[in-house]
Amino acid sequence: MTRHPRGVLAPWVLTCLAVASCSRQAAAPSQEAGAPPPAIRYEAHIAAGGIAPPGAALRNPHQGEPAVAKKGALLFTAMNCDGCHGGEGSGWVGPNLADGRWRYGGADAEVFNSIYYGRPKGMPAFGGTLGAEGVWTLVAYLRSLPVPGDVPTESWERP
Amino acid sequence: MPRAALIAMLGCLGAVAVNADNVRAAGAPAPADEDGQWSMPSKDYAATRYSGLAGITRQNAGSLHPVWTFSTGVLGGHEGQPLVVGDTMYVVTPWPNVLYAFDLTREGYPLRWKYRPDVSANAIGISCCDAVNRGAFYADGKIIYNLLDGHTVAVEASSGRELWNTQIADVSNGETTTMAPLVVRDRVIVGASGGEFGIYGWVKGLDLKSGRTVWTAHNIGPDSDMLARADTFKAPYDNGVDLGARSWANDSWHTGGAPVWGWISYDPELDLIYYGTGNPSPYNPEQRLGDNKWSASVLARKPQDGTLVWAYQFTPHDNWDYDATGAMILADLTVAGKRIRALVHFDKNGFAYTLDRATGRLLIAAAFAPVTWAKSVDLATGRPVLDPAKQTGASRENVKGICPSLEGGVSPSSPAAYSPRTHLFYTSTNNLCMDYAATHASHLKGTPFVGVTSPYFAGPGGNLGTFMAWDAATGRKVWENKEPYPNWSGALVTAGDVAFYGTLDGWFKSVDARTGKVLSKFKVGSGVVGNPITYRGPDGRQYVAVYAGFGGDWALLSGDVRSDDPADVRPPADFLKDIARHTSQGGIIWIFGL
Repeated sequence: MTRHPRGVLAPWVLTCLAVASCSRQAAAPSQEAGAPPPAIRYEAHIAAGGIAPPGAALRNPHQGEPAVAKKGALLFTAMNCDGCHGGEGSGWVGPNLADGRWRYGGADAEVFNSIYYGRPKGMPAFGGTLGAEGVWTLVAYLRSLPVPGDVPTESWERP
Repeated sequence: MPRAALIAMLGCLGAVAVNADNVRAAGAPAPADEDGQWSMPSKDYAATRYSGLAGITRQNAGSLHPVWTFSTGVLGGHEGQPLVVGDTMYVVTPWPNVLYAFDLTREGYPLRWKYRPDVSANAIGISCCDAVNRGAFYADGKIIYNLLDGHTVAVEASSGRELWNTQIADVSNGETTTMAPLVVRDRVIVGASGGEFGIYGWVKGLDLKSGRTVWTAHNIGPDSDMLARADTFKAPYDNGVDLGARSWANDSWHTGGAPVWGWISYDPELDLIYYGTGNPSPYNPEQRLGDNKWSASVLARKPQDGTLVWAYQFTPHDNWDYDATGAMILADLTVAGKRIRALVHFDKNGFAYTLDRATGRLLIAAAFAPVTWAKSVDLATGRPVLDPAKQTGASRENVKGICPSLEGGVSPSSPAAYSPRTHLFYTSTNNLCMDYAATHASHLKGTPFVGVTSPYFAGPGGNLGTFMAWDAATGRKVWENKEPYPNWSGALVTAGDVAFYGTLDGWFKSVDARTGKVLSKFKVGSGVVGNPITYRGPDGRQYVAVYAGFGGDWALLSGDVRSDDPADVRPPADFLKDIARHTSQGGIIWIFGL
């Protein structure tokens, strides 16, 4: 697969590129004559839930800007995110966003996509309301939340 | 229980609004026509959850043991209850709302069929408090129930074939459907959840044959939307037109909530259905000044065309999320020497109400759980006598020490039972209080419209729940079993004078209906938030069935109970620290026998 030189791209551009890559791969000459082309030839080409195609990562233009993160905290309440995810993202009917664990990936791009496009089980698509800038503001806030040390064990016995 | 403890406990309750000595329950005999089935969510139209079966008695209940279990394959709050019609048991699961039909005539109760509807996963996130279902109704050869994503379905009871599937609610607008329908003649009465999403609450009457929506009646708003007409609607304590709109400042009724997510009962003689409405939206009361009628109320309507006949508001201008969606139990009582067709209701707000169900007039209101938001209920006006220090709102910031918590003195998910033999009502309770910090909430279609932070703590005594017997004719508690955790199961009582309930830490218990003495208990694998039922099996013996499946609000509050999502790990709730030591999620149907 050809490497595309990429900077920070709008998500829809990224989607188009990924689709284009897949269709090119499906028509590759190594295909045996007569055999139906596989829908997905290489697992590495599956982005969702698998390994993202190589390329520059989508980065938050506001990475590490505390002022933006603070704005994001207000947005988290104003957009009723806390109604499902709890105050400070601590979890309610929606998952905990402050435990350092992520259903759909915790990288900037993955969190961006979750908010922009929505997710199954009722996470609305906020891209239309917030635009990319608003979504990045929320990502900046979520990434600023202090993540507790991951303690996978809960014990009721005294040591 | 020790008498001293009983007196101490009664002292905590305070607020008995009537001289109880001149009130007593009429001794209605057990129905002679007990058919041994359980074909409606609440057993009968009066919602008594009382069965005339007497095979299981106080003497032999000690030998109750499990005779069958089945995994529903679904992890989630298993609220509601099975149905038993003829020799088939019907079970509806939480989302994705699978319907199972078990053949009770064969060894191991194999399935006759199962029905798997296509239910949108989006509804999971739009349901405020776990993707629960409160059960099905059997009528006219059909099993009728709601899918979480705003559909009502009718399934042929004999074959599992879908007969009709009607969209009644709009998930994209914050409406989901968790309640148990009621069928009266050729009407299927349904309602929608969404008090946390600013819906414009309603009930609908569908045609039983076709599923077509015949009428829609809003619970708030102008008279025309509420199907309230001057010649048919008479509120016992209010006069005037458009009360459902004029009692909301700035037309806030448009997004005022008043959902219907509990139970509906029916009086065939008066030809009235009764149901409670949920909280007004949002939780910050300063965004909806006024009484907010008819949220947190009971409404009486004609089933055929939805005509509103009367309405009574338990909690005017609700400041505390005190939904009134709990069961309205119909029982005939003698109050002050006068025989009354009564309606009895245990409200989230901590008061147990006895009303005249023909008029909606209040007869008795007495606290059944610790109450601090009001001192009593004034029988002359029907209104609570408020404690001004417990009023909430964004401008008041954090208001401390409100009892009950917004989980309610009892959850509407946990319906009470009434025995005409003991004249007592049986109910789970929660012993929780809260602080309440309201904040401004913005209304965005299909997102939560709430505006509160409300941490909980244990009420007096430290135990977080009870199961208790209540005399609605005297407004007094007769006995109670303290439970370490909030008690979230419904109640069942039988002609054998045995009552049944489950606990949040996963015990299923039978108790002496006269004393509360535990007769049997069994650990059922997951917390019980469903409602036990009883029936006569094809072999002529009496059985008791219940779901085990921790969930409902507790799925949100006790995140450490969950084990199904490695990407969502939460600390224990600070008021419920060790519940995860005793239970995890589940989805199990249990049947007990002698």
